Amino acid sequence: MKPQPTDRCRQLLEQVSRYLDGDLSAAQRRTVGQHLRRCPCCQHMADGLKHTVDACHKAGVARLPADVRTRAKARIATLLASGPVTTPRR
Amino acid sequence: MQRAPDRFQIQAGIRTGVRIRGRIAGIVTKQADVNPSTNGRSTPGIDYGSLVRAAQGGHQQAMERLLMQAQAIAYRFSLHVCGHADDADDAMQEALLKTYRHVSQIKEPDAFRTWLYRTVKNACLISRRKRVHEPGRLESLDEVVEHADGSVQGIDVPDPGRRPDEVLENSRLRRSLHRALQSLGPEYRLIVFLREVEGLSTREVAQVVGISEANVKTRLHRARVSLRQQLESP
Repeated sequence: MKPQPTDRCRQLLEQVSRYLDGDLSAAQRRTVGQHLRRCPCCQHMADGLKHTVDACHKAGVARLPADVRTRAKARIATLLASGPVTTPRR
Repeated sequence: MQRAPDRFQIQAGIRTGVRIRGRIAGIVTKQADVNPSTNGRSTPGIDYGSLVRAAQGGHQQAMERLLMQAQAIAYRFSLHVCGHADDADDAMQEALLKTYRHVSQIKEPDAFRTWLYRTVKNACLISRRKRVHEPGRLESLDEVVEHADGSVQGIDVPDPGRRPDEVLENSRLRRSLHRALQSLGPEYRLIVFLREVEGLSTREVAQVVGISEANVKTRLHRARVSLRQQLESP
């Protein structure tokens, strides 16, 4: 049977993200860590969130498609050829 | 306490040919931007402050790198946040021109990164508004073609350093992520894009979006929960 979240789980849910980000105080981190070790429901949620974050990192930044990159380079060449870079020193 | 280099030292570095070549190579390859809010996770990034200083010193390679980054961010923003790659050309052009004009005037090069993301955000939203009366079109990510040999044609160019199955897997992941992102509300999509995809810190996201850091964390958590459900659903 799938474990059901308790009131305590709901209370700690938002802190799971911060726990994964290392964004909790030492005391909060201990509290959430202890709960995760005892609660399969929240551990499952934490694993899922971590997987989601990892997927974003892995899939997010792709190289530009070749045609887009070519157009981008052409724009830069045109812009830089239109005049020298003005660099007033402060 | 470590002393920040003064302007003379920075300019001296910029004017030294050998050092500047090493410096630009370092800017591009070291990319160690440790984000304190991610428990020391090192996120890939670019030292925009050094690039801006080099570009201000007249180094064309640094300027070209900044202009390419501005366009790449505008492209990804159009794709992931606006959900319409057909706006990307306008947004890229706008980001390019604004960056070019801004670089020579910027007083705080280290604040360039958040300036760039704010500028791209505005450029993309303006492009979107211009096209609001045109018929909508689904993003071309759904048009990715998977060939029998495992190669993929569409959103990404093949990377010679990666095996075909890795390219295919990442391509599938990108499509799933794109669909999941489009299911989020725009305010949540923007936060996920900046924080998870682009690797900005919580503080930088707050500056770009114009909300508190606490609000960023709350929205990010809700978005992650929703994304998780979307990614895990068949």
